[in-house]
Amino acid sequence: MVKTSPGTESRFFGPGGQTARLMLYGLLAVVLMAMDQRGHYVSSIRSAAGHLVEPVYHAVEWPLRAVRNFSEQFQSRRSLHQENDRLRGYILLQQAALQRLETLTEENRRLRSLFEGARGQEFEYRFAELLRVDLDPFSHRVLINRGSKDGVTRGQAVIDGDGVMGQVEEVHLHFSTVRLISDPNHALPVQISRTGLRTVAFGMGTTGYLSLPAVPREADVREGDLLVTSGLGDRFPGGYPVGRVTRINRGEGLSFAQLEAEPLAALDRGREVLLISALPNDENLAKPAAQGEVPDERINDTEGQGNAGDDSLEENSIARDGGEEVPE
Amino acid sequence: MNVRTDRYSVIFFTLVIAIALMLVPLPSILDIMRPYWVGLVIIYWCLEAQGRISLGLAFTIGIVLDLLSASLLGMHALSLVIIVYLVTRFRARLRFFPPWQQALSVLALLMNDRIILLWIISLRGEPLPTLQFWLPPIVGTLVWPWLFLLLDRYRGALRHRVIR
Repeated sequence: MVKTSPGTESRFFGPGGQTARLMLYGLLAVVLMAMDQRGHYVSSIRSAAGHLVEPVYHAVEWPLRAVRNFSEQFQSRRSLHQENDRLRGYILLQQAALQRLETLTEENRRLRSLFEGARGQEFEYRFAELLRVDLDPFSHRVLINRGSKDGVTRGQAVIDGDGVMGQVEEVHLHFSTVRLISDPNHALPVQISRTGLRTVAFGMGTTGYLSLPAVPREADVREGDLLVTSGLGDRFPGGYPVGRVTRINRGEGLSFAQLEAEPLAALDRGREVLLISALPNDENLAKPAAQGEVPDERINDTEGQGNAGDDSLEENSIARDGGEEVPE
Repeated sequence: MNVRTDRYSVIFFTLVIAIALMLVPLPSILDIMRPYWVGLVIIYWCLEAQGRISLGLAFTIGIVLDLLSASLLGMHALSLVIIVYLVTRFRARLRFFPPWQQALSVLALLMNDRIILLWIISLRGEPLPTLQFWLPPIVGTLVWPWLFLLLDRYRGALRHRVIR
């Protein structure tokens, strides 16, 4: 389609032919966009283009990385010492908190086993960094520097230090694309941590807030309530903080209360993230702690738990899945 | 002596830089006003190199940009095709406009592009963007004269080198 003979085109084809070609290309673009929006075929184009795209990302990122490495090289001993001390103090605090958490986890497990033998999931975390590449601001995606080589799989949950960020959408060799929870096509099964009320948080296309349109009017919700993932839908493990309720609208004539929540994760300015993969339950018996490195099998197993065959489905269907889980 | 400075290698080189500028990470305050570099460079080549940028080429560049910036596939393709069509259509007039008038037409082109993007956004059912959505075309217009001069300089330097 690319016309290669230069200079002659506009004279020979004239404005009429040009207009016809504009229509043709315009139509083609619109069809592509519709396909992308509906999630047909385009993801395979994207994953095929991954190899072409990757070197560009590295080239774009390289100068920044070089500058950062350079400045790190020449950071003074003293500031490093200070940072070291600060971090050591921080670790101590975290460890103190963890000690308590561990006994709680143990207690939790014991109580669960008293119930129906339903065992809590164990999770493994993998560190990843965001690539320093600015994507289209309307794409609601970020890139992370872990790919299929590191055992990343599609649908894996991604969190940062403060809360849930999104899920892995496409996996390439050395990097992956993460769809943020702020994407308008994304729905996240959540529950209000104070009351246990389950609902769904929809992305709104801005990183500033999520929308929870399906909360009963008379439900016990207050501003400032913490939302955590409910673990329904099998994509996101339960119990991770998502956001805080910022606005509640119980206006007259609404059949549901309209809630807005502010995400806790730094969706638009994060640097480091964690990839969560669940260890399958039966393996937990053999290996109680998260150790050992057999990422591939384990992660495949995780994927197969609730959404076998879900892989081919797109975000739209995730949204619908989530929608069905709304408690009445 | 006639030295071609509108060879495809030259055009592609500038386009690659423009694409890189679209992706380069910026603090969010600058990110919201990042001009549409690829659009500007394409406008330049449409004006200066008759018929070198065909609609098909614009479409291809748009698809590449879509894949790189992870935007909706076809979005930049559509925008570039429309820009190239309009510039080619009014090329004779645009070329002989005084600089400020040319900058104004560039503003019109970029605004038109933003309106198309707005249409796509609303079709996708996303909330309408805030006022800062209209910042990039304005910054693009301010950048345009300098970009024009820079690219002219670049071509001039190229010509000199070839002659020598």
